[in-house]
Amino acid sequence: MKRTSTIVEHLKRIQMIELLAKGKRLDGRGLIDYRELKIEVGLIKKANGSAMVKLGNTQVIAGIKVEVDEPFSDMPDKGLFICNAEVLPTASAYAEPGPPDEDAIELARVVDRGIRESEMIALDKLVLISGKKVYAVFADVSVLNTDGNLFDATSYAVVSALLTTRIPKYEVKDDRLVKTEDTIPLPINTIPVSVTMARIGDNIIVDPTSEEEMCMDARVTISTDDQGRICAMQKGNPGTFTLEQLNNAVSIAIDKGNEIRALIKSICAQAQVG
Amino acid sequence: MREFRKYVLPGDVIVEDNPHIKPLANVIKIDNRIHATRVGIAEVTQNGVKVIPLSGIYIPRVGDLVIGKIIDYSSLAWVVDINSCFLGHLLAQDVFGKEFTPSRDDLTSKFNLGDVIACRIVNFDRTRDPLLTVADKDLGKINNGEIVKISPSKVPRLIGKRGSMIQMIEQLTKCKIIVGQNGVLVVSDSSKEAINMAVRAIMLIEEEAHTSNLTQRVKDMLGGSIA
Amino acid sequence: MNMLMSDDWRRVDGRRWDELRTVKIEVGVLKNADGSAYIEFGKNKIVVAVYGPKEAHPKHLALPDRSILRCRYHMQPFSVDERKNPAPSRREIEISKVTREALEPALILEDYPRTVIDVFIEVLQSDGGSRCAGITAASVALADAGINMRDMVAACAAGKVAGRIVLDINDEEDKMGEADMPVAFLPNLKQISLLQLDGKLTKDEFKECLNLAIQGCMQVYKLQREALMRKYFSTEVEV
Repeated sequence: MKRTSTIVEHLKRIQMIELLAKGKRLDGRGLIDYRELKIEVGLIKKANGSAMVKLGNTQVIAGIKVEVDEPFSDMPDKGLFICNAEVLPTASAYAEPGPPDEDAIELARVVDRGIRESEMIALDKLVLISGKKVYAVFADVSVLNTDGNLFDATSYAVVSALLTTRIPKYEVKDDRLVKTEDTIPLPINTIPVSVTMARIGDNIIVDPTSEEEMCMDARVTISTDDQGRICAMQKGNPGTFTLEQLNNAVSIAIDKGNEIRALIKSICAQAQVG
Repeated sequence: MREFRKYVLPGDVIVEDNPHIKPLANVIKIDNRIHATRVGIAEVTQNGVKVIPLSGIYIPRVGDLVIGKIIDYSSLAWVVDINSCFLGHLLAQDVFGKEFTPSRDDLTSKFNLGDVIACRIVNFDRTRDPLLTVADKDLGKINNGEIVKISPSKVPRLIGKRGSMIQMIEQLTKCKIIVGQNGVLVVSDSSKEAINMAVRAIMLIEEEAHTSNLTQRVKDMLGGSIA
Repeated sequence: MNMLMSDDWRRVDGRRWDELRTVKIEVGVLKNADGSAYIEFGKNKIVVAVYGPKEAHPKHLALPDRSILRCRYHMQPFSVDERKNPAPSRREIEISKVTREALEPALILEDYPRTVIDVFIEVLQSDGGSRCAGITAASVALADAGINMRDMVAACAAGKVAGRIVLDINDEEDKMGEADMPVAFLPNLKQISLLQLDGKLTKDEFKECLNLAIQGCMQVYKLQREALMRKYFSTEVEV
């Protein structure tokens, strides 16, 4: 019943706005604080890479499967990266099983954009036989439980899974591929980090919960790389932002992005060693 | 006849070969055995066998006080989310009186989307959605307070014997707590700190509803900081 | 047929003929669902969510005297060796159906007229016997949701591998074995609610296989009980 999902109790809404005026939110966070972020990698051994992310109560799982395919005819020297996202019917009472709706499709494309435009994976290093055989990296991410900010949670899951992916090493002998026993990591250029912000009245908050999303006027997701460059942006919801608010959002995205990048890096590095 | 209590899971046999004992609630009699149908505490007394459930959504009962949220309306009635699998209906006549006419009386002048109301279930059977009323002095729109949601199966424990548990919390925190049988509560009328204390006590009861000595632990939790 | 099950004989993963893989069950793992459970059955990793009873949409599909049970068994693309297309396959649709039919006899649907109960089984990693693991976790999730049940449902497969009747076949054994028989059992009412067979068995082999599968189901039932007791009665446990 989509209708019930968008109506927040009047009492809660009033409480939310009173607190925002004092720089606080219903769960005690400051305006630009993230909820607790937990990342577990390598839990799906049948996948080449995997990660489970818990951002507050939002829970998602990403799996990476790598195959050997033909490249696109107009890009013979580039490997393939395909990203899919799904909100599972387990995620909430309002999620229905079936093909992705416009929200799920937007989610998948925004996550894909953040990773592709940052050139996180060096696709030119995924070529095995030029024009004939390349690695194809499939990233599938599923939302198990929603409590707001699916954009960031799914992005962190895919990024963490990619950082800890192992692919089989191939050797080229007489124009044919021979699989070796070795595995190698994906060729990584940078770690893109997505930061999602919501506007409620004149307040900009980071990492909105479901309730906050139901009360927000507009949201924006900004992905940055480790050089502080913006590689993807998406404004959502039928509301608006002022120029000043967006400039401010970019600064927040770069600062918060660096914090989260450090966390993702340390978790993935530990996993590689351990 | 031996009276006893025990933890049960669905399917567990509670009593067998006793044709005089009455199945009361959340049990099912198959052949000569009475099985539990829920996760909970089975109670066997002179009156019969029942299971006090520890989980499950709210199923409406006539006479229950519930706290609901207005989520839709037509020209004749409001639709109310009462935290159940069934949506409640509040007729305009209940609020405007018998002289209600849709052309003259606008529903949104009384209750609007998102409003929180205390109401009572007037009618509910297997063939129709529950019918609500706000025609009573302790019912109607709730204008302030913090909303807390707990599992409806824990509400009896929160209220306590003849209201003892909930009254104790109200006295020690100086809060007013409206308890909906549907697991939705509103805590109000006090400082933010006192409301937080009351909410913590409520969460403790939800977590440990099945244990003994709970009243003392709640008292200890609140005793140290009286509003 | 070999009736001599020597205790020395070991399978590819080191197990004895009557040994279950390692099983772990956790209750209440998803916040929004009315009931939920997570199960690891060997390398199988499955999460189940139950939503319900809830209003049926569209209303005309509702039944006046009982609830409708709906089940969806779905595999993540990364759950198997070769990436699987996210769209439902015929295999998933069949498993969804037999799963529903395995759980339905245990539920007292007449207590919830005009409603729907949804069971969503998501396979995160699959390794043989995933439908049994899914049914097992679904039964726990239904109990967690507080749905009235006549009994729990525990599921386990038995089969024939290398000429011998064995319990709980994994993916590798399934590929090279002679028979695979998943079974679901209501442990207190002593009734079978799921039975499928892939392969060839004589009448005697079938009897032996079924008995072994039921033994497996009872072992699984014990683990379901422990998991529910842990969540609901953890402060005063008596299994």
